[in-house]
Amino acid sequence: MKELRMILHKEMIHIMRDKITLFLVLAIPIMLVLLFGFTISTEIRNAKIAIFDQAKDSQSQTLIDKISSSGYFQVVAYPETESEIDQDFKDLDIKLAIIIPPNFEGSLENEKMATLQIIDDVSDLNVASILNNYILAICHDFINEYNGQGLEDGSIDIVTNMLYNPEANSVYMFVPGIITLIMIIVTALMSSITLAREKETGTMRMLLITPVKKVYVIVGKVIPYMGLSLISTIMIIVISVFVFKMPINGSIALLLLLCIIFMFTAASFGMMISAISKTQIDAMMVTMMGLFLPTVLLSGFLFPLDNMPMIFQILADIFPAKWFIIAIKDVMIKGSGFFDIWKYLGILILMAIVLIALSLGNVDKRK
Amino acid sequence: MQSIVAKDLTKQFGDFTAVNHINFSVEKGEIFGFLGANGAGKTTAIKMMSGLLLPTSGDAIVGGYSIRTDSKQIKRHIGYMSQRFSLYNDLTIFENMQLFGTVYGIPAKELKDRIHQSLSKLKMDDQANSLVASIPLGWKQKLAFATAILHRPEIVFLDEPTSGVDPIVRREFWKLIYQAAASGITIFVTTHYMDEAEYCHRISIMAEGSLKLIGTPSELKQQMGVDTIDDVFVKFVKR
Repeated sequence: MKELRMILHKEMIHIMRDKITLFLVLAIPIMLVLLFGFTISTEIRNAKIAIFDQAKDSQSQTLIDKISSSGYFQVVAYPETESEIDQDFKDLDIKLAIIIPPNFEGSLENEKMATLQIIDDVSDLNVASILNNYILAICHDFINEYNGQGLEDGSIDIVTNMLYNPEANSVYMFVPGIITLIMIIVTALMSSITLAREKETGTMRMLLITPVKKVYVIVGKVIPYMGLSLISTIMIIVISVFVFKMPINGSIALLLLLCIIFMFTAASFGMMISAISKTQIDAMMVTMMGLFLPTVLLSGFLFPLDNMPMIFQILADIFPAKWFIIAIKDVMIKGSGFFDIWKYLGILILMAIVLIALSLGNVDKRK
Repeated sequence: MQSIVAKDLTKQFGDFTAVNHINFSVEKGEIFGFLGANGAGKTTAIKMMSGLLLPTSGDAIVGGYSIRTDSKQIKRHIGYMSQRFSLYNDLTIFENMQLFGTVYGIPAKELKDRIHQSLSKLKMDDQANSLVASIPLGWKQKLAFATAILHRPEIVFLDEPTSGVDPIVRREFWKLIYQAAASGITIFVTTHYMDEAEYCHRISIMAEGSLKLIGTPSELKQQMGVDTIDDVFVKFVKR
């Protein structure tokens, strides 16, 4: 035990003296979650727009009311000609202009259709496409109501109900994904890379020639990084709760237990990679190809698993990330309890046991 | 008393025989030079004798223990230092020595005393808390040697300990080796410097996995009819 403590002590010194890496390990998760949180929450409010109403009938007025009361748009101009629209783009910095055709109400009534023209400022493609989606949703709503009942004055409800909420959804999606990636990067990648570095510099040989057990060398390497990844995870959760208002509907203790179990699974991958890789490049490639990519692609974090071909769905089952992400969402969002997610915990523990057994089987053998 | 006895020690990697039935013995306190061209099998032999590799056949008794069955015991009784400088650069001198001393099971208080003793012997006491990265290579090598014998091993394996070090430090290094040998530590050293070979009590020359020559430097020179070990080596390799 004294030996293990000594190895741990040495690893802590390595980590504390490598200030840049330490900073990156602690800062990257915060940056990632802020970045994902703020950039993906592309909800735009009060975008300036202009409406060229050629119809000026009650239906066009209804549509305009709907648009301006949605909260997403602020109608700053009512141009009377197309060249005025151009001017408004330049002078008023409008993001979008809508042209309502003449006889809007008439064509809706007689031909059951009307053409709305939307002019976007596509200098920012993302903003344009988001605003376009808002308009489409409002128009869709408008048409639904039109078909639903009569169009008498005052009977139209102009409260717009957007069915999607990009902000909330993206944070719910990304937080579990970021936790997964950070755990893997810090626990598996960092520990296996630093172990491989010792193999490259020759210090590993020095350690192995001493009576210290190789298991201690590897375990001593992995434990400090497990601690670091747990700190990062807690920071991510704190930020997502306090900055992005992500709920924790389940118990915090269960959430922590889940994260700790996944940390062990990630660490066991780290041990496995450490046992088989001889150089830092090896460790990096194995982690990237064998763990990081499958986690990004096959965990359901970026791409939905349901639409994938069977073979990829089976592959996804083999990697721990999918199970962790399902479980953490259940706990945080659905408020699931231990008995709802014990299956996933079991899978993660089983994976860790198998990997640890495999890597330890490799470790202390002389060939 | 014999520190190392190798009996038909053999290591094969697939079809390739890295070490082929070598036999030799090293006396306690002897400085035994282990020479040979690159790839002759020296490193493989050292790895086997230090308990890192299992021999394919044959055996060696190191410090009284068989490398086949007692590698754990062997590890307690040997020290090792390699051609590649191998202390931790981001640890201080003291921290490095503390790490290696502790994994050999030296009690903390005793260890502290030993570290200070060996640093004062190297006249480096005032640098105990400097980072290893900040000291010159020659000093690092001396330090690595001091660390390798901190736990007072019976045998220390030195794998090209002086490569890349200037002649003055090399001479100082050999003084340390002589001191250690005089205190009863058996030195098993590989080197490419033939002048260093002359300093050894006995030397052996390996080629293609086999031990071709073994004897004192003067015996070998006489045997080959030349004046220096350098000539012995060249003549031998050309043969």
